[in-house]
Amino acid sequence: MSVDFWINVGVLAGIYGIFTLGLQLNAGFTGLLNFGQAGFMAIGAYSIGILVVDHGWSLWLALPAAVLLACLASVVVGISSLRLRSDHFAIATIAFAEIVRYTLQNAAFSGGNQGILGFDDEWRAASGWMLSKLGAFGLGGYTQLPLLLVVWLSFVALLLALQGLQRTGWGRVLRAIREDEDATAALGKNVLSYKLQSLGLAAALAAIAGFFVALNVTYLYPTVFDPTFTFFGYAILVLGGFASYGGVAIGSLVFWALLEGTRLIDASLSAGQQASLRFIIVGLFLLLLSRLRPQGLLGNVNEMKVRP
Amino acid sequence: MSATPTVRASAAEDDASAVRSRLASPSRLTVLVAVMAVVFCLLAALFGLVPTAQATINGFVAGSYTGLGAIGLTLVLGILKLVNFAHGDLLVAGAYFTILFAWLGLPLPLAMLGAMVATAALALVTEKIVWQPLRQAKAGTLQLFLSAIGLGLVIRFSVQFFAGSQVRTLGANVVDSIALGPLRLGTLQAVALLVGLAAMLLVGLALRFTGIGKEMRAFADNRALAEVSGIDTQHVINMTWIVSGFLAGLAGILYATAIGSFNPNFGLTLLLSLFAATVLGGIGNAYGALVGGLVIGLSQEWSTLMFNARWKPAVGFALLILMLLFMPQGIFGRKKRGS
Amino acid sequence: MTAEPILEVANAVKSFDGLTAVAGASFTVEKGSITALIGPNGAGKTTMFDLLSGFAKPDSGAIRFAGQPITGKAPHRIARLGLVRTFQLTRVLAGMSVIDNMLLAAPRQPGQHLYSLLTAPRHANAAEDKARDAALSLLETFGLRSKAADYAGALSGGQRKLLEIARALMTEPSMVLLDEPMAGVNPTLGHTILDHIASLRQSNGTSFLFVEHDMDVVMNRADRIVVMAQGRVISMGTPEQIRADAAVIEAYLGGPAPEAKP
Ligand SMILES: Nc1ncnc2c1ncn2[C@@H]1O[C@H](COP(=O)(O)OP(=O)(O)O)[C@@H](O)[C@H]1O
Ligand SMILES: [Mg+2]
Repeated sequence: MSVDFWINVGVLAGIYGIFTLGLQLNAGFTGLLNFGQAGFMAIGAYSIGILVVDHGWSLWLALPAAVLLACLASVVVGISSLRLRSDHFAIATIAFAEIVRYTLQNAAFSGGNQGILGFDDEWRAASGWMLSKLGAFGLGGYTQLPLLLVVWLSFVALLLALQGLQRTGWGRVLRAIREDEDATAALGKNVLSYKLQSLGLAAALAAIAGFFVALNVTYLYPTVFDPTFTFFGYAILVLGGFASYGGVAIGSLVFWALLEGTRLIDASLSAGQQASLRFIIVGLFLLLLSRLRPQGLLGNVNEMKVRP
Repeated sequence: MSATPTVRASAAEDDASAVRSRLASPSRLTVLVAVMAVVFCLLAALFGLVPTAQATINGFVAGSYTGLGAIGLTLVLGILKLVNFAHGDLLVAGAYFTILFAWLGLPLPLAMLGAMVATAALALVTEKIVWQPLRQAKAGTLQLFLSAIGLGLVIRFSVQFFAGSQVRTLGANVVDSIALGPLRLGTLQAVALLVGLAAMLLVGLALRFTGIGKEMRAFADNRALAEVSGIDTQHVINMTWIVSGFLAGLAGILYATAIGSFNPNFGLTLLLSLFAATVLGGIGNAYGALVGGLVIGLSQEWSTLMFNARWKPAVGFALLILMLLFMPQGIFGRKKRGS
Repeated sequence: MTAEPILEVANAVKSFDGLTAVAGASFTVEKGSITALIGPNGAGKTTMFDLLSGFAKPDSGAIRFAGQPITGKAPHRIARLGLVRTFQLTRVLAGMSVIDNMLLAAPRQPGQHLYSLLTAPRHANAAEDKARDAALSLLETFGLRSKAADYAGALSGGQRKLLEIARALMTEPSMVLLDEPMAGVNPTLGHTILDHIASLRQSNGTSFLFVEHDMDVVMNRADRIVVMAQGRVISMGTPEQIRADAAVIEAYLGGPAPEAKP
């Protein structure tokens, strides 16, 4: 197994780790079943592509702008549908992600199925510079190594920040909402506002993940942000563990190592069958884990309650 | 002594309110039909009678598979309190079972019938290996959601694994069409329309007059009450899955026939239209799902008079979101107890 | 002495689907009093609490708390004004520790707001430490100190009830609505709760409105009693006045009061 293979696994694990931190914040710590995370990721990534390519922005300025736009989208989604019952909210968020995908596929501004290309020159320059430094350690040949480092630095920093936040009074209110929102409101907490904050932060995390996806694939097209990818996030979540940020890191690594490992299975399968097999494995993960170990590897069974 | 009259009075009140709610549904249906008729007239005035009539026929075709597909979704939701995200993929399974059986040499009509039976069997299998054990383990909402999503992925990508992701047809003649005056209707679409409407009628009658149909509706309406009245729970649940799967198979075949070409991914997009029909008709209300399906189908096809046809699915999403926001109890729904 | 009212309800109406749960109820609660709300099952007491605490909006009628209108306000706004409720079916936050249940309820915590957390983290910590002391001493009073670190879901039914009341008091309320606080609690513990309520009224002037079915408790502990039946307030007054009220006897016995018989 080549080093490049493992670097790729690491990059994917880091990106989807960031993506899943948002789901953990929503589902694990607030009791919000956000099934539209891929939609926020798409909005983040496409905002960057459009701002850089069509409007000549710097990539580094486009990133915070994209994060803000994703937050804005989450406020629109949240204000309209957070008052719904939790199962209706879940359906509404899936519909949101489908609308985003559908729009990207069919609208003119997103390049439709042609996609968007050529937004990452600045990143390539930065990455080249990092590679030249890494060359001093004899690592100059691994072209994806800079991305791996940046992704994991970001992931770990965000993970630690969220862990810190969760220990504050703010994090306590979120958990209280997960347990019983009426009781929380009865104690004077503005439940809707906290849910919006939770959703907004998750959307910001999705936009950051979208930024890294864009750098990784170098080319934006709608199927990269298929709503199904939200379910990859949930597979990572249940694998790593419910209500545990550390679990997200473990879950994402295990998940992507297994999933990418399927590529190494004796290649009597066509490329299409390989791809299908990966999704089947994700599906089986979800089925088996929710049945056998719903709290996940590192999860906390006492906090494993999401009521209707 | 003095308590008896109160009891009687409240029973009479209950009767009165039952009558009122029975009266309320048809009157809302009348309103709905009237609204749709007004929209039709408006569209005809704006875009011409012939295109509007053509879109309306297409709308009935779309409405029949949406309505039939939504019945299973709404029954499972009402009876098992399960949001079955895998339901769209049962429709996919129905279409691909047909291809499989036709490939094995069955004539197309037989292959379709076989596919419906096979989809029903598949639904029953999921009950036995996924849902029954999860119910017994008292699984939480998130567990159920994730299992449904996992199951959907397994079904859809198993189909894709064996059949590939390329676009397929059911192998029937898609070019022939019938002319009805100035209107054109593909022969297959005509068949789909007739079969769809006939099936809707049959299902409606079966729910009304067969024992199991009544039991299923009673269950969806008020499970606790149905259970104390001595209905065999597991039997009703099994039948619910069989009916749900059979109709999903039928809806998938109708979709495949009417659309002509498809790939294994049509389930998720269609699922949102099915949800829209379900919410529109009121969760657990099988008749509501049929009506909701027709409304969704007509709205989607009518939208093509105004927008490019590629935005059709978006109309379904938009309707779904609007319904959830403004009428979560559906057009026929009463507000349930508990805030 | 004319006591000033803290809560005024005028002609509150609430119906569900044709069933009128509260049918034009009016009453007042005096500031600093312990008032009992009694009435047969289905009289509309819990629905009245929902209206007072903002969990249901009245179809018509007006509610004033501490001089300002609160009709139809959101639950968290009403709670912040100092009117806090507990639930008939206990609602502890099972997946959180007992102490976290208490700390959640602490008012004015900068640590509960992202903005102040980022701008003044020290301040947030100091406020939380103070809240923790207050929480532990309340837990001490309610005999839950030793359970502080346990998950609330692991408490017994009676302990949950205690925790819910302690949590409501943690918000530093000026008035507390208790829906059947003694139900499912053993009598000794029940009396501890009542003693504590009485001493809080004494020391802080907190007002209490509580629903209770045990007439001995109501008659001995309440300053005033409000009686509801079929969605209306049929009587209001001191325990002596209520004891003598024919309408109340009729409501409870389902027939005309003996004295009223011809
Ligand atoms: N959410 C609701 N939906 C429909 N009916 C309700 C609802 N809440 C209460 N009721 C009805 O209102 C009446 C009063 O109930 P409640 O306020 O709980 O009475 P109490 O607390 O005095 O026993 C009862 O008949 C009850 O069935
Ligand atoms: Mg009550």
